[in-house]
Amino acid sequence: MENEKQSNLVPASSFAANHPELFQKSKRDDAAMHDQAFETKPISYFRGAMMRFAKNKASIVAAVIIFIIILYAIIVPFASPKAHVDSVTYPNGFQDPYFSYALPYNSLFKGTGFWDGTETKNGISDRAYDIYRFDDSNHSPIAQDYGTEPRLVGTTMQMTHNIRVDSYAVGNKVITVNAATYQKIVSYEQEKGIYHTSKGIMKPLVYYTDNYYNDDGTKNDNPGYCAQYRDIMAQDLAGVNYNELTTAQTDIQMQINNVVDAMQNYYNQNSSIFYKLDAKVTRLSGTVYTQNSFSAIKTASDQPIEIYQKDSNGSYVYNREFHDDYTIRVDYFDYFTLIHGFEPHYFFGANASGQDIFLRLAQGARFSLLLGVGISLINILIGVIWGSISGYYGGTTDLIMERVTDIISGIPSIIILTVCSIQFTNNIALRQAIGTSGIYILAFLVAFVYSGWIGVAGTTRMQFYRFKGQEYVLASRTLGAKDRRLIFKHILPNAIGTLVTSSVLMIPSVIFSESSLSYLGIINFTTSGLCSIGSLLNEGQAAGLKDHPHMLLFPCLVIALLMICFNLFGNGLRDAFNPSLRGSDN
Amino acid sequence: MKSALKMELTNQNLQETPNPESPNPRNTFRRVVDFCKKGIIRVGKAIGHFFTRKDVKSTLAYIGKRLILMVFTFLVIFFICFVLVRLLPISVDTGMKDQEVFYKQMVAQGRYVQNADGSYSPMPIMQQLGNFIVNLFSGGSNPWGFSYHIEWLASPDQIMARQLPPTVLINVYSMIISIPLGLGLGTFMALKKNKWEDHVLNVLVMLFISVPSFIYAFLLQYLFGYVWNVLRPTAESANAVGGYFSGAYFASIILPILSMTFGSIAGYARYTRAELTEVLTSDFMLLARTKGLTRAQATVRHAFRNSMVPIFPMILGEVISVLSGSMIIENIFQVNGVGGLYLQSIQTRDFDVFQYVSMFYILIGLVGTLVVDISYGLVDPRIRMGSKK
Repeated sequence: MENEKQSNLVPASSFAANHPELFQKSKRDDAAMHDQAFETKPISYFRGAMMRFAKNKASIVAAVIIFIIILYAIIVPFASPKAHVDSVTYPNGFQDPYFSYALPYNSLFKGTGFWDGTETKNGISDRAYDIYRFDDSNHSPIAQDYGTEPRLVGTTMQMTHNIRVDSYAVGNKVITVNAATYQKIVSYEQEKGIYHTSKGIMKPLVYYTDNYYNDDGTKNDNPGYCAQYRDIMAQDLAGVNYNELTTAQTDIQMQINNVVDAMQNYYNQNSSIFYKLDAKVTRLSGTVYTQNSFSAIKTASDQPIEIYQKDSNGSYVYNREFHDDYTIRVDYFDYFTLIHGFEPHYFFGANASGQDIFLRLAQGARFSLLLGVGISLINILIGVIWGSISGYYGGTTDLIMERVTDIISGIPSIIILTVCSIQFTNNIALRQAIGTSGIYILAFLVAFVYSGWIGVAGTTRMQFYRFKGQEYVLASRTLGAKDRRLIFKHILPNAIGTLVTSSVLMIPSVIFSESSLSYLGIINFTTSGLCSIGSLLNEGQAAGLKDHPHMLLFPCLVIALLMICFNLFGNGLRDAFNPSLRGSDN
Repeated sequence: MKSALKMELTNQNLQETPNPESPNPRNTFRRVVDFCKKGIIRVGKAIGHFFTRKDVKSTLAYIGKRLILMVFTFLVIFFICFVLVRLLPISVDTGMKDQEVFYKQMVAQGRYVQNADGSYSPMPIMQQLGNFIVNLFSGGSNPWGFSYHIEWLASPDQIMARQLPPTVLINVYSMIISIPLGLGLGTFMALKKNKWEDHVLNVLVMLFISVPSFIYAFLLQYLFGYVWNVLRPTAESANAVGGYFSGAYFASIILPILSMTFGSIAGYARYTRAELTEVLTSDFMLLARTKGLTRAQATVRHAFRNSMVPIFPMILGEVISVLSGSMIIENIFQVNGVGGLYLQSIQTRDFDVFQYVSMFYILIGLVGTLVVDISYGLVDPRIRMGSKK
């Protein structure tokens, strides 16, 4: 070695001796020579990464969409009026069963037939059409009438109706309110000048009661419609009034009882019906009375015959008072608007119990995002510590730690999740301490943290193997740096880009796992009051994809957007932090 | 490398020799027979070559080491899972069934003891483990316990055997579709690199990889099953429609097959594209073109083969995992498969079945990893697995 160096040097010096003109001092050399100071500021690693990231348009768009979804998840649960109903009436958040499965409504699209809470129904029979048509509420259920169309029903051609039905026109409902609420409605109506008019919130009560006999057993002089129908039916079947039927005609009596009971039930359930109904149906086999389908009796001018309750003066009865509680028949949409101060419109539709999907999706997205970010952070922390130790010390330490990782990653997290959720739920002390929802969150945390950090540990370990043998580390160690300083100050910062990328890419995978598990019902949130995107998917599937596709559409859209955007965003970050890896798995 | 190139050249010469004989059927037949014979001989030689190779000893040693390690890992995982699952409280909510029968079986298996007052209580876990091992190796009946919710007192392996065929069928069909399509698509993208076809397909691949498979499952079910009404929205029971290979059964599992296919097509396409673009730019491709191969020949014979090195093990791993079903897809389409069984065992808390299926999944996972690791070395002899340097 020594000789070689020597032999290299000799020709160089002899070269200088032979060519002195090349080594003469020029005039310029007299002035002190300096590097010129940079006029621009130095670009730090993060600044460079940011600049590279900003060039990636897809990632920018993805970041913006993620930001919008985060804003949605933060703002809506605070801003939505449905989130601020009183918790005594609605312990599990706002819900209204009358609006169950209401379709998505956006006021921008009102009347267009798209996203306006209506759905087209084809092949509606005359009888069903009449029920839609005759409506004394303030909102007609028929949003649009497309006319009639001949259609094969069974074996006969029949004229059927094609209509567009407004799912928010739930019609009139009979409800019982306290005196204060009643006064509120009355004063509102009087102020608007619609008190006891056909435009008012309160509608006349319908007199359909089946009070054929008085309490003392005599026949009622002023019977309700169902009681009247007993006579109509008896006249038709036997030619006499109901009370004149003989004991030999008990089968007719039974039939009348059944039909009238069914009819009264029908009136009870459909408070919008204010007119006379008929149970008679004409079939090929002749005229029969049915218990399950009723049609409106119409006048010659194609109008229903109203059966409102009237008092002795002949004016309509609007309420029934009992111990300061008022039973009234109201247009439910208007009543709702008056009581709650906002219209019962659902931007993304409603679920089975009439909860707002827009609000619940925001709460679900908030939960999923928080869980994703939280679990990612914990995983990064554990993974970095584990990987640093394993990679820095190497040797036997590394071997043992790797085997432990193997075993841990061999046990599927679904087993851990199942075992945790069952054991935690059975643990009464724990349940009292953190509540049902706390138990589920804890179970998720344990199950996802349990094996989630392994990937990060592997990445960190690789980085340590790459850097720990480098000269600058050796130099630092020679100067007396402790292991901790070497790990955290000198080696770990090199891995920061990779770690940021893997933590961002971990968020969608946690969200995906969580939503899959709660979708499958392995973790069931229904009793805990929590909701995640997965539990909304679960509800949507339970409601039936065929009948209520809107319940799955929006959660699916949000989760698909989250997945796509987080992946794009993560890939963009990876390219920005490690330009050499660009496009490596595209 | 050199010998491989040589083989390629001779191979090419064989195929490109013009055939002087007229193409009559007998000659064609003879040629097919010859071709098959040659193929068999070549495969046999390759196998012989493999076993006479110098490094085969080290490869076998590596496989043996990995196997022992796998068994050890499996045993540890088994122990942990056994303890975790046996710690769970069994609630035999049997309805009309006789609980005494259940507990008698449990006592016979050494899992419960009958107390003096006639009630039953579980044995300590370690004793249960000992009894389990004794049962397993002494050939006792139902060493894996009993199902008590899914099917009263049936053994988990019977239920498993019943649930396996639909899962395997769906997975195999989806593999048959997705592997050729995925590889083809990936090759196409690599050849059209940075042209508009590549960009469009790249976006699609990215979408299909990111979007969870249950979303296309819902979409397919809604459109084909409900709106257009062309396919059955849920899978039929095989017995009701005439066996697993009947047309009606196949028609009813088209949707689950499709929804499993999209993601894996995209996955294969992405990998193939990445590998192939790397190989296409390498020097030996230039050599192949220089010696006179057309672009197609060079791509298929040299580039595609080399790009298969990381992809083939992936496919092999997939072949192993045909036994494990996707819980979500089987749940959406109501397939009576292994994934469905696993889910059912969790939901109904049928722990013996849960344990059995879990161990099954773990074993598949371990074997899959092992096979993938070993196959790397077999596919490309340059890769020496487990080598010290």
